[in-house]
Amino acid sequence: MFFIEINQNFGEHTRLLAPFIGIITIVWLLFIYHSHKKYGTKKTIMYFLPIIIATLFIESAGVASGRYYYPGYIIYLSVVGGSVPLIIVLAWSVNLFLCMNLGKHFISTIYQKRNYLQIIFISTTAGLFGVCLDLLEDPIAHYNSWWIWGASLEGIKFFEVPILNFVGWFVLIFFMSIATLLIEQSRFSENRKVLLSITSISITGTIIFVIHGLIVRLFEFTGLS
Amino acid sequence: MEKTVVQFIVENILLFLPLGITGIVVTIILFFMSKQENIPETEDLNSDFKTIFNFRLNIYVLVYLFIWIMIIIIGLSSNFIIPTIIGGIIAAIPLILMMLIELLTKNSKV
Repeated sequence: MFFIEINQNFGEHTRLLAPFIGIITIVWLLFIYHSHKKYGTKKTIMYFLPIIIATLFIESAGVASGRYYYPGYIIYLSVVGGSVPLIIVLAWSVNLFLCMNLGKHFISTIYQKRNYLQIIFISTTAGLFGVCLDLLEDPIAHYNSWWIWGASLEGIKFFEVPILNFVGWFVLIFFMSIATLLIEQSRFSENRKVLLSITSISITGTIIFVIHGLIVRLFEFTGLS
Repeated sequence: MEKTVVQFIVENILLFLPLGITGIVVTIILFFMSKQENIPETEDLNSDFKTIFNFRLNIYVLVYLFIWIMIIIIGLSSNFIIPTIIGGIIAAIPLILMMLIELLTKNSKV
């Protein structure tokens, strides 16, 4: 079910893939260092591991379903039949950590109360910031073949990138932020928080699955996808 | 024929259902069986700021700015000009908002 592939032909059929991988690696290492220094090992695991596991499943399912694929990377992981580059799941952990913390800083300046509403505000901001970044990144990625969208995908596109991709980005970052912040602000011990953050992926994943499924149906119904 | 991720998961429900149910059950057990020990601490967001040459900079804004600049450089050097400019303007919105909020906070403290 789970396997690792090593690709001998790095960069094949792609352009400027090495700088992209370099950026992600630098930022990921910087965030791991910063998180470890500020929060310690357990919280760093809590922030990074759940999104890595969740996106490994989602991306692998996306590749297996034929919606898109990733050519030219070095290390690929597969859990449900689709091969996903290791750097892509690490990039997702960077996206979540970056957007969630930007959201925290932004919202805590204008709304100081620590309650569920603040969590919703932070998660919404994180999701929107993530979509803003992806509107720059995804068309360039598609153009340079870092990932390639299926040609027969229909509906509204933003420079060849299906609009549902951006909805997916928002839904994923929004719900993963909510789950992370709820666990982070709970009164459980640190060990329990780490365990909960990993096991709760199934609940967050189910919610993402249902909400995204409903949005896909709505888009199909209105002819947007 | 491409499918959505949701369609793929529905078609492979026998694979995802046991994983999902196991996770949900374990989460519920962990949630209700554990005693709540800690008082949730207030996060110190000031430690996310670094002072470089008398400038107080937010590490997350800096990283976002770094990614933004690098992706724009890649976009422009691939001759993908218009989408890079349009995407760059949209992706600058979080940066502008973060800088505005930082300015407003600074002004209100003075």
